[in-house]
Amino acid sequence: MVFSRLFFIYIFLPLCLLCYAAARGIKQKNTVLILFSLVFYAWGEPVYIFLMLLTAVVNYTAGLIIGKYQGKGGDTAATAAAVAYDLLMLGIFKYSGFIAENINALFSCSIPVPDIRLPIGISFYTFQTISYIIDCHWEKVKPQKSFKNFLLFLTLFPQLVAGPIVRYSTIEKEIESRTVELRDISYGFNRIALGLAKKVLLADQLNIISESFLGNIGGSTAFGAWYGVIAYGMRIYFDFSGYSDIAIGLGRVFGFHFDENFNHPFICKDITEFWQRWHISLSTFFRDYVLYIPIFGKRRKYGGLFLVWLCTGIWHGASWNFIIWGLYYGVFVFIEMKIGKKKMKKIPVIIRHIYSKFVIFIGFGIFYFEDIGKLGTFFKTAFGFGKNGFIAVQDRISLINNMYLLIIAVICCFPIISTIKKVSDKRFASKAVISSTAAVAAALLLVITSIMLVDSTTHPFLYYRF
Amino acid sequence: MNEDNKSTSKDKEKNKSEDVNDKAVRPEPVISIEASDRENTAIDIPIKAKKLKKQRRKTALNSIALANIILMGAIFAGGFVYVALLPHETKADDENRMLTTFPDFSAKSYLNGKYTAGIADYFDDTVHDRAHIKEFIADNITPLKGRKYGDGEDGAELYGSGFIQKPAAVVTTSPPVTTTAGVQSPVPTAETTAVPETTAPPQEEEPAQGELTNNILIVNKRGVTLYGGAWGAEQEYASFVNEYKEALGGKNVYSMVLPTSSSFYIPEQYSNLAYSEKDDFDKIEASLKGVIPVDAYNILNAHKNEPIYSRTDHHWQPLGAYYAAQEFALMAGVPFADLSEYETVTLPGYVGTLYMYTQSATLLNNPEDFVYYKPKTPVTVTQYDTHFQNPVAANLLLDPAPMPNSGYYMVFGSDERIVHVNTECKNGRNLVIFKDSYGNALLPMLTSSFENIYLCDIRYFDLNAIDFIDSVEATDVLFAMCSFSAVGANRSCIHNNLNK
Repeated sequence: MVFSRLFFIYIFLPLCLLCYAAARGIKQKNTVLILFSLVFYAWGEPVYIFLMLLTAVVNYTAGLIIGKYQGKGGDTAATAAAVAYDLLMLGIFKYSGFIAENINALFSCSIPVPDIRLPIGISFYTFQTISYIIDCHWEKVKPQKSFKNFLLFLTLFPQLVAGPIVRYSTIEKEIESRTVELRDISYGFNRIALGLAKKVLLADQLNIISESFLGNIGGSTAFGAWYGVIAYGMRIYFDFSGYSDIAIGLGRVFGFHFDENFNHPFICKDITEFWQRWHISLSTFFRDYVLYIPIFGKRRKYGGLFLVWLCTGIWHGASWNFIIWGLYYGVFVFIEMKIGKKKMKKIPVIIRHIYSKFVIFIGFGIFYFEDIGKLGTFFKTAFGFGKNGFIAVQDRISLINNMYLLIIAVICCFPIISTIKKVSDKRFASKAVISSTAAVAAALLLVITSIMLVDSTTHPFLYYRF
Repeated sequence: MNEDNKSTSKDKEKNKSEDVNDKAVRPEPVISIEASDRENTAIDIPIKAKKLKKQRRKTALNSIALANIILMGAIFAGGFVYVALLPHETKADDENRMLTTFPDFSAKSYLNGKYTAGIADYFDDTVHDRAHIKEFIADNITPLKGRKYGDGEDGAELYGSGFIQKPAAVVTTSPPVTTTAGVQSPVPTAETTAVPETTAPPQEEEPAQGELTNNILIVNKRGVTLYGGAWGAEQEYASFVNEYKEALGGKNVYSMVLPTSSSFYIPEQYSNLAYSEKDDFDKIEASLKGVIPVDAYNILNAHKNEPIYSRTDHHWQPLGAYYAAQEFALMAGVPFADLSEYETVTLPGYVGTLYMYTQSATLLNNPEDFVYYKPKTPVTVTQYDTHFQNPVAANLLLDPAPMPNSGYYMVFGSDERIVHVNTECKNGRNLVIFKDSYGNALLPMLTSSFENIYLCDIRYFDLNAIDFIDSVEATDVLFAMCSFSAVGANRSCIHNNLNK
């Protein structure tokens, strides 16, 4: 089920909220959430839901064994087995086709290429279970003894299919005890409205531009290539951060406090900072669980770094462009590490901004083109070696036709709301005014978004495919 | 909001610290005073006042939060009533399609996800009064994206990127669709559009379902699908038609490739957005061997100031078909009825397919007249399926009256059929027309010119074309399709129909 559909917003969600409100006590409320989460997932994956349930059983059991044999051989064995299972499932369902294709290409053989559809959200819930198992092994969290509670952690529908990757430690206590205040619910509703607006009013509209120009890269001008890739970058940001907003908002309505997944990534001044602000739950996952894997000996620091970026690329998709994309960022982070923080800071801010945006949007180009030939065309075109010149009338028409959309999108990349909030929080009167305004604005956004959904092409959230 | 509220855990901590502060003011003052004297004591008054003030503020903020919840709750409740309970629409006249129906349950449909997806599609697609909501969007929301390029009448909107691009392979025959994905209903009349995609390079990337695949320029209140050039495909078209001539020997074979509005209505400043159809027509003519070329371009160009093309639809108007048919009749040496011998029917308020593709307020707010012509002489019309089986008596033109928003398809009907028209013209000339949807409008115009006319769509034809032509004893074979079909993917159908 997709958040940005009328069916979800006005049928599934109200029914879920009603049942949740009617449930008494935390156990009943959790039961309601599990049931609705299972329906939510089964709506899109009526068969693969059993795979998810199997994953839940395997990891829950492994957690119990880890708890029982803490620090002993059984602990390590259960950890290794559970992580291996998780990675194997991800490998089979996400990468088997890609691996077979490349073996065939490399060794000129003809291994049958499995045609397996990617189960929705497998990349996200697999990482949740891996983090749970490793945290249990590291004794950062106590293994969850109740399967029902574990199932709630894994299946909680706000974050189930497209993140953020919520760790068990984040909601461990709230699974068993949580309070919801009026301000939580109002904040949650407003956040949902904001997320939907980002998705429908910005991301889907920017998608039309990016598809027009990048989808037609062979006929594009240099300006068109940059225009398209900038629109695409913003589209991904609003799409994915919009989903995260909805997830965080829904979580808050039900009393869960998920960590932020985005923090205005485009205001970054270097690539390292960009990844501290972009898809934070994924970056921190790799930082915590992959970066320091001791497999590179003395070169651990840089070996781990490139392993992280390789994993980041592969995680996004079974395609070479994603691998290139991950390593591409790895190279820039490596260079920035070599330069050092102090020296980086000495570089004029404007230069750092230009450098980081240039790298980021080229990165989005790599991310977009799964076909390496087209990626080459994109590079040629963007750097002035294309056949169609620098700018053409169609570029100008599109720019003018979409000028307000683009201006608003750029403005929304900046932390305007947080700045207003920070200032208004200092005085009660301004805080009250801003809260009231936010309520009205959120209501308006929800109405406008809903109206747009009547006439929309259904674009599933981009990160559904990962 | 969003990441603006940095970290939710920070909020949590803040709330906690507020609680701690509350607790901090809770202890009694150090100096012990009898309760009865407290009201008169100055020491704890500021503490009380501060606490009261804080409570008042908290209450105020909670009241705002409550109002916020009520407001949003009302929207959710209203939305539930609107989406789930109000009567559902069944038909979208502006999109010329039936809306999604509630899916039938079966184990198979459930397991492959179609059943649940169908339910969501049903509720999304059939909301009450959707036509007015769409109009509201076109009128009030879409224009907020930007403004027209240029001023006044020449102000332009571009849908798609509008590049001239050399295609390297065939294009998809799917019509461009901008409506809700997965909800296209199988209404024949809505599925037969022949706007191909030669402007964009669809061969490079299969367009995702539901996305704009054509490049459409809207200027001077007119939508124009931008022609992207044949780039060698015109030679292939000519060779395919030549194959027919070779196989048919003495029969007359004609090629009439029809220009689109791209040739006539693009203002000078935007002329480089489209390639020249005329150049490609000339190349086709030069490559034909024994096939008689029919020059529709010049006669249409001579009448371009008349309403020969629809402004809101990618098709021509029947008047354009009349002039093209006149040229063909001249080349074929058959009689041709003057327009005065037809009954003129005008359907006002027509907003056609280009609005459907673009949702442009400019087109929506500038409807046009759809004018068509009914032959006064009686004809016998029989429709067959694409195997030339199952004959059914039919009318030459459909009655658009039941459709509030009638137009090209409503008058000329769908393409997935073979139509046989027997006329009162007893000249022994039997014509087979291989066409796309443009060709439909030619049929009424030729009812005074041939004794029998067989109208076959190249895309929906399940017989060997030569066998069919022989079986109906055709004397003349006309290929009549717009440029997009002749040099787009549809051209391969011409060849394929020889080998069925």
